[in-house]
Amino acid sequence: MTETVNGVVFTILAFASIGGAVGMLTTRNIIHAAFWLLEVMVAVGGLYLLLSAEFLAVVQILVYAGAVSVLMLFVIMLTLRRREDSVRPVEVSIGGGILAAVFGVVMYVAIAQYGDRVVEMPAAVPDTAALGELLFTKWALPFEVASLVLLVALVGAVWWSKEEGR
Amino acid sequence: MAYVALIPLLPAFVFALMAPLSRAARNRVRWLGLVGVGASLLLSLAAFAAVWPGGHGGEAAYHASWPIAQVGGVDLSLGLLLDPVAAIMLLVVAIVGVCVQVYSLGYMHRDERVGWYFAVLTLFTSAMLALVLADNFLMLYMAWEVMGLCSYLLIGFWHEQEAPRKASQKAFLTTRVGDVGFAIGLAVMYATVGSFDFDAVLGSAGSWAPGVATAVALLLLFGAMGKSAQVPLHVWLPDAMAGPTPASALIHAATMVAAGVYLVGRALPIFEASGVALTVTMFIGALTALLGGLMAAVQHDVKKVLAYSTISQLGYMFLAIGAGGAIAGMFHLVTHAFFKSLLFLGAGVIIHAAHTQDMREMGGLARHMKVTSVTFGIGALALAGIFPFSGFWSKDEILYAAWSHGHYVTFFVALAAAFVTAFYVARLWFRVFTGPEQNDHLEEGHGEMLAPMTLLAAITTVIGFSAPFFSEFLGHKGHWPDPAIAIGSSVVALAGLTLGWWAYGRRHLVLNTRSLKQRAGQGYTVLEQRFYFDITYDYLVIRPYMLATEALARFDRDRVDGVVNGAAALWRRVTEVSWAFDGRVIDRLVNEAARGARVAGANMRRIQAGRIQTYQRYMLGALVLFMLWIVVKGA
Amino acid sequence: MEVGPSAFLGLAAVLFTLGLYGAVARKSAVMVLMSLELMAVSVNLNMVALSRFVTPTEMTGQFFAIFTMVVSAAEIGLGLALVLAIYRRTRTVELSSIDSLKG
Repeated sequence: MTETVNGVVFTILAFASIGGAVGMLTTRNIIHAAFWLLEVMVAVGGLYLLLSAEFLAVVQILVYAGAVSVLMLFVIMLTLRRREDSVRPVEVSIGGGILAAVFGVVMYVAIAQYGDRVVEMPAAVPDTAALGELLFTKWALPFEVASLVLLVALVGAVWWSKEEGR
Repeated sequence: MAYVALIPLLPAFVFALMAPLSRAARNRVRWLGLVGVGASLLLSLAAFAAVWPGGHGGEAAYHASWPIAQVGGVDLSLGLLLDPVAAIMLLVVAIVGVCVQVYSLGYMHRDERVGWYFAVLTLFTSAMLALVLADNFLMLYMAWEVMGLCSYLLIGFWHEQEAPRKASQKAFLTTRVGDVGFAIGLAVMYATVGSFDFDAVLGSAGSWAPGVATAVALLLLFGAMGKSAQVPLHVWLPDAMAGPTPASALIHAATMVAAGVYLVGRALPIFEASGVALTVTMFIGALTALLGGLMAAVQHDVKKVLAYSTISQLGYMFLAIGAGGAIAGMFHLVTHAFFKSLLFLGAGVIIHAAHTQDMREMGGLARHMKVTSVTFGIGALALAGIFPFSGFWSKDEILYAAWSHGHYVTFFVALAAAFVTAFYVARLWFRVFTGPEQNDHLEEGHGEMLAPMTLLAAITTVIGFSAPFFSEFLGHKGHWPDPAIAIGSSVVALAGLTLGWWAYGRRHLVLNTRSLKQRAGQGYTVLEQRFYFDITYDYLVIRPYMLATEALARFDRDRVDGVVNGAAALWRRVTEVSWAFDGRVIDRLVNEAARGARVAGANMRRIQAGRIQTYQRYMLGALVLFMLWIVVKGA
Repeated sequence: MEVGPSAFLGLAAVLFTLGLYGAVARKSAVMVLMSLELMAVSVNLNMVALSRFVTPTEMTGQFFAIFTMVVSAAEIGLGLALVLAIYRRTRTVELSSIDSLKG
């Protein structure tokens, strides 16, 4: 038996995420941009739910929507001297446009070629408990290394952001 | 036998313990390095005792391996292999390591970063022990690179000064040139055999296509030449003397630079399968032995004399292996490790006392520094190859190997190198320890500096007599020296010593540099310029590279500007012509255009000047191109 | 209406392309970092989707996505700390005025 992804829900979430991304790139206010990014993150979290990756969906909301967005907002606030500084012209880059366009075409060709090798969605997806079990058995070592990476990043971030002159 | 694993692990553990400490705390626990290396020495002695009876005929006494990763269905592993060669090398490394640790406690005690020095020294010892115990080429390569890093850190230990900083970079880059060869060799080896294990690789080497064997052997040799400072990759070693002297004794005399010899010795079946590679090894060794000796003879810096001498002696080892005397080469490695580290430690005491490294500013030190002059003298006689000191035995075996395998040209080159060696040894000793006194407040070194030197001198004195047993231990037939060659080499060495004494030792006839220069003329200049290696590299590699970078930078800087300015100038000229006709309106228009172009040019110019987003753009552009390539190739 | 893997891959490609454009076009360091996050999230979406379709029981892609999240979280933390440090030194977060990355 096969399962299917609900096409309507997918379409809504897809438009929400793309719309968020476009909004982020076109808004003149950098604070608004952070909120547009937040929308993308939440929408992607919803897509994870559609893909029966519940754990990742929760982590996505927690990490990106919760932590990263707040961090972004903090930094934006800290680096603005006046409120008006948050509004800035939208830079247009022709080079970037060409680069992105070429990349988009390449991706389109690639997906058209290989994307539908697997069409049917397999059934029988393990739940979060199974994921947790695998994470601490088969993937235990990478998991620990990942925690080390986070620790190092934490130390590095504190080191860099502390005041000059120690 | 599982304790074998502790031999490299204990010093590594000590490093891991010391590295995260604060500077002050690390300085306080600097003796920890000695504890780690000392424990390794005890375990090495145990391991040696376990291998000792008969040496198992060259078989491994202990072999274990632990898989660490699986790449493409093949297990990569860390493995330990304790066979007679490894057991001997363990002892050599651990003994010299302990001596240098003890010595450094006295030599470095006033340095404010002494703790870090000991930490790196200990990590280095760990890496060298791991290299010796490796059971596959990959692990050997890993240890090899760790040693390169430690060497870099120790050469540049006094990085506040410019010379050590530059020397460390030079050493790192030059050895890296060799390491690239090594890495490619490993890849070819893996493609051929599908394994890095000594057993699998060396066992099958005989059945490789000769071309493949030659390629792999030459690539490995290239790596070894970088590490062991063989011509033409030797240029980094003399500069490396900018580091602390005891570190030079351990790294740049006894162990790391000998790792190249060890590698070639380990990979000998590949070289033998090739044949050509053996000959190349022999000629490079012979060339290096002679050139290194000649260059040593004109240096004034005590440590540089020893550095060139090390290059020359390493050349001797390559020569021996290439000429079919691998055992002789390994034996020379062992004896050289002891007497050359002894000489370096002695040089450290001398430099401490005289406050200079230039031997022209030294003299008469023997009267104040009895222990140093005697131990240094023993090391010097061993280096010159005088009976009964260790260098005599090993040099003799090398000469014997060259002669008995019919390499007569090499034999005479080696003999000439022995003569030069004896000459510069005499020059060094007489210049420093006899003659008029030039230094005030000469003091003998501390006890912790003299004790290791005495131990090394004792080993240097007696170890030569083990020559026949050394061969038997490695599973070959041992023999005492051939009398004809022994007498011949002794005569040559004595002649060299006598010439050195005649030129530099006689009280009133000290031959100064200028008169020697006048007599030897052009030849002396060639030597003084170290056969123009550095200058050649400067002109062939470094300058073109700098020119290219500068040209690129100028291109970046001027291209946009130039075009824009040119356009602006052109516009202006047009304007000047048209001014007469069109007056102010068009004039201003054109000027505006020129100004606009200039502003645009200035903006574009800024893009080229260190802005992070430009680089990011290049990066993403490369990514897109890469993706494009994948898609096109896949289709 | 049935949704196959290409729909997810296509959506991820669109998001990545937008992120790529933003990373190149925008001049504010914070905006560039946001664009990088957008790219990272699209990669994650790819991996989760492929995990669901290709290895539903082993969930390999999901684990990779977890580790990618770790790395991108570390990256964003460090990146923002850097932005703060640069701001403190130069009083600006405009990448166009930060040009000390040259020899």
